[in-house]
Amino acid sequence: MKFDRIVVVGGGSAGWMTAAVLATGLKGRATVELVEAEDVGIIGVGEATLPSIRNYNQSLGIAEAEFLRATHGSFKLGIRFRDWLEIGQDYFHTFGPLGTLSGSQALWGQYRRMKQDGPLGLHCMPTVMAMKGRFALPEEQSQFRYAYHFDAVQYAAFLRKLATQRGARHTPGHVADVVRRADGGVAALQLADGRRIEGDLFIDCSGFRSLLLGGALAEPFVDFSHWLPVDAAWACPCERSGEELPPYTSATALEGGWAWRIPLQNRTGHGHVFSSRFVDVERAREQLLARLDGKPLAEPRLLRFTTGHRQRLWVHNVVAIGLSSGFLEPLESTSIYLIQDGIGRLMAALLAGRPLNENDRAGFNTGSTRRFERTRDFIIQHYCLTRRRDSELWRHVSSMDLPDTLAFKLELWRRYGVLHEYDEECADGNSWLAIHAGMDHWPEREDPVIAEIPPERARLALLGRRNAIAASVELMPLHQRTLRQVLGG
Amino acid sequence: MSQKYERIVVVGGGSAGWMTAAALVTGLKGRATVEVVESEEIGIIGVGEATFPSIRNYNQVIGIDEVEFLRATTGTYKLGIHFCDWLELGRDYFHTFGHFGNLFGSQTLWAQHRRTGLAEPLGLQCVPTVMAMKGRFVLPSEQAEFKYAYHFDAVQYAAFLRKLAVQRRARHTLGRIVDVSRRADGGVAALQLDDGRRIEGDLFIDCSGFRSLLLGGALGEPFVDFSRWLPADGAWACPTERVGEELTPYTRATALEGGWAWRIPLQNRTGHGHVFSSRFIDVDRARDQLLARLDGKPLAEPRLLRFTTGHRERFWVNNVIAVGLSSGFLEPLESTSIYLVQDAIGRLMTLLTAGRPLNEDDRALFNEGAVRRFSRIRDFIILHYCLTRRRDSELWRHVSSMELPETLSFRMELWRRYGVLHEYDEEGFDATSWLAIHAGMEHWPERDDPVFSEVVPEFAASVLRGRRDAIAASVERMPPHHRLLQQVLGR
Repeated sequence: MKFDRIVVVGGGSAGWMTAAVLATGLKGRATVELVEAEDVGIIGVGEATLPSIRNYNQSLGIAEAEFLRATHGSFKLGIRFRDWLEIGQDYFHTFGPLGTLSGSQALWGQYRRMKQDGPLGLHCMPTVMAMKGRFALPEEQSQFRYAYHFDAVQYAAFLRKLATQRGARHTPGHVADVVRRADGGVAALQLADGRRIEGDLFIDCSGFRSLLLGGALAEPFVDFSHWLPVDAAWACPCERSGEELPPYTSATALEGGWAWRIPLQNRTGHGHVFSSRFVDVERAREQLLARLDGKPLAEPRLLRFTTGHRQRLWVHNVVAIGLSSGFLEPLESTSIYLIQDGIGRLMAALLAGRPLNENDRAGFNTGSTRRFERTRDFIIQHYCLTRRRDSELWRHVSSMDLPDTLAFKLELWRRYGVLHEYDEECADGNSWLAIHAGMDHWPEREDPVIAEIPPERARLALLGRRNAIAASVELMPLHQRTLRQVLGG
Repeated sequence: MSQKYERIVVVGGGSAGWMTAAALVTGLKGRATVEVVESEEIGIIGVGEATFPSIRNYNQVIGIDEVEFLRATTGTYKLGIHFCDWLELGRDYFHTFGHFGNLFGSQTLWAQHRRTGLAEPLGLQCVPTVMAMKGRFVLPSEQAEFKYAYHFDAVQYAAFLRKLAVQRRARHTLGRIVDVSRRADGGVAALQLDDGRRIEGDLFIDCSGFRSLLLGGALGEPFVDFSRWLPADGAWACPTERVGEELTPYTRATALEGGWAWRIPLQNRTGHGHVFSSRFIDVDRARDQLLARLDGKPLAEPRLLRFTTGHRERFWVNNVIAVGLSSGFLEPLESTSIYLVQDAIGRLMTLLTAGRPLNEDDRALFNEGAVRRFSRIRDFIILHYCLTRRRDSELWRHVSSMELPETLSFRMELWRRYGVLHEYDEEGFDATSWLAIHAGMEHWPERDDPVFSEVVPEFAASVLRGRRDAIAASVERMPPHHRLLQQVLGR
């Protein structure tokens, strides 16, 4: 299979992220055309991301300050989870090292053994930064990682400009029909104005509609809603209130779902992800409105979805990237990450320097599917460890059957303190630990290796680390100050 | 209490002593004087030494050319160890320094191999294991990635390093130590030699072998005894003439009634030995068993060594640091003696080149790290014994039923119940090595990680067959070990 003419369907962040990479990475070895219906609404009230977004930007040669200016971006150290364990309890999941994870010097193991006061997060630099509202760029890569909050609509526009400069063709038009090939693949898109867009490879970035993969090719959907029952979200941007700009996303657990809060430069994104099985749509809307901390800038918008993914993400000559391939709720800000993951796999196949074959497709599909499953397990972990029983949702998630892979990992942690990792993980041992710790989920017994450290040394080491982190965070500027400085305004 | 170390005295001229001295003169570049005090009467242990791959790092750091080294030490290449009769009489397996693919996740090679029910040893999926089985050797390349080590004559190695160290300005002092003068703080002030000379120093490295002249002797540091888990306490050693053309690129370790026998191939001769526990077998019977096994004409009378497995409680006390046998000894089953020498040298050099006075914390961390390393290797060696199905003699009944160190039983439980290769800090052996022993001893997890079923069995089987065939084909093209060695040596 050749791919001289690549057609990207859809101009949201998935579409333009894909087109920008194709135009940059293939350097003219294929034409890249992006078909975008201007009347399709682009989802993106305020997007939170994972640190890998920085790799993406770097690979395209995007300067951080320029990017932040163009997208009203802010820095993100992680997520603050409120009311997940119990009402009134909260914890942070930041992208920082929690010390050694195994062996005699396992930080969490010594922390537990020495019965230290205060959350484990006091031993994690970005967690303390987040608690204090501070942000400074890391002095070295190993210190901590960070991500961004930004406006995804503006990000798409920013990338559109970049991609078209690099030779991507931008074709506004409404896809009225999909012309198939004899072998079942897609031959061309028929636009409403009569134009016909032919291609060798079609990237479906059409969002929840999944125009090509779910629609024309009717690839079945693998439904995760047993474990991730949320099926809708109300979203509403507000005016930014006050000077303060938390360098993190907030995710607050509610009766039938949870509410996000994403701080941008000029406004704050709010939303309520909920399960209509457990809370009425109207009630969910009211719960969101009651939480807003600034003047609403628009009417709340309702999105409907099902958690899960298409059985295969690459079928014939159609590759789905973004929401068209599947959706996991945004609890861990994995949407953009999964787009990048799809783009990365696609580019690896396209740059292999040979015609694409069935193995490329199979490798792409098993790898992507696995990535969805790993991410699913990680998100379920946030729910299933709850002690809340105050509504139907929490009673459900605390008692439901878990995927085997997740149950296996949870058992290994609970019984032996092993952070078991798989291939295609989206979250590393540090992240799993942050959730276990935040949800007060600790191993039943101590690894005998922990006793090798003299207790007094362990105590001093913990104290030393904690104090050093506290002292260095104290010297850091507030997030809004660093951001202003970076923006040069 | 901080100290400066401007005059370093190394006590003992075996491989530990000269490895330490060579590293010190090379790394400190004149920032301290290095003097090696060697008594010519002290016998140097070393009939044929087997090592593991880290020896190559040592040689590289010192700047030793491989060919020159092999020529000087009658060395050969080592891909690993062939274990015979450990699981049951007549059963064998290899532990080589190679890959077994992924060790966790959906594409875990050992697990998919078990799922697909391929009725062949896992070792066929490991390049150096197949090379060892076929007696082949080539230096690793992109096509064949693996690590290797050497067999060599440790006496010749010490002589080689002595020359190098002396060229780099180590001072070589021959003399017998008759007394150790102490400082008021309990440290060592000087060594009194039998001819009246007095060797003063700021730091003394005890490389005096089992005698542990300074640490165990003068300073009386207590010994942590491992013999309840590792009961071997004696070894008969005997070199023989090399027989025939063939040269195995591996050490052999054959389990016997009251211990096990080694076979180490050198260029010109073969080292044989029998490590045994006098609790379980009579010393003379052990000697006879060794003699009965020799596969060439003996070149000397068998020599008996006595030891206790374990280590000194601390390795660095006051201004004395023990490196090598003086610090402790684990039986040579996994060829860890030279590795442990290197480990101590590495820790020492890190501190000496830190560019600041050393203090009590440095000593404490040195000691904790070194002790931990001993404990990890102890656990790994016990693993070879405790999984046996042999019950044909007292030794095997003991090791199969004894209580294990907690760290080892924790790890074995994680493996047996969940298939997790749990790793600690200061490991001597990585998860691939642990897997090689589990696999060789047919010690498999009770249940499958659910992640394994993500891969379709037919697909896994075809991948594994492809890997096996590719390895077999590439090994088929490799020369026999002795031929490659001749070529390297330029003969």
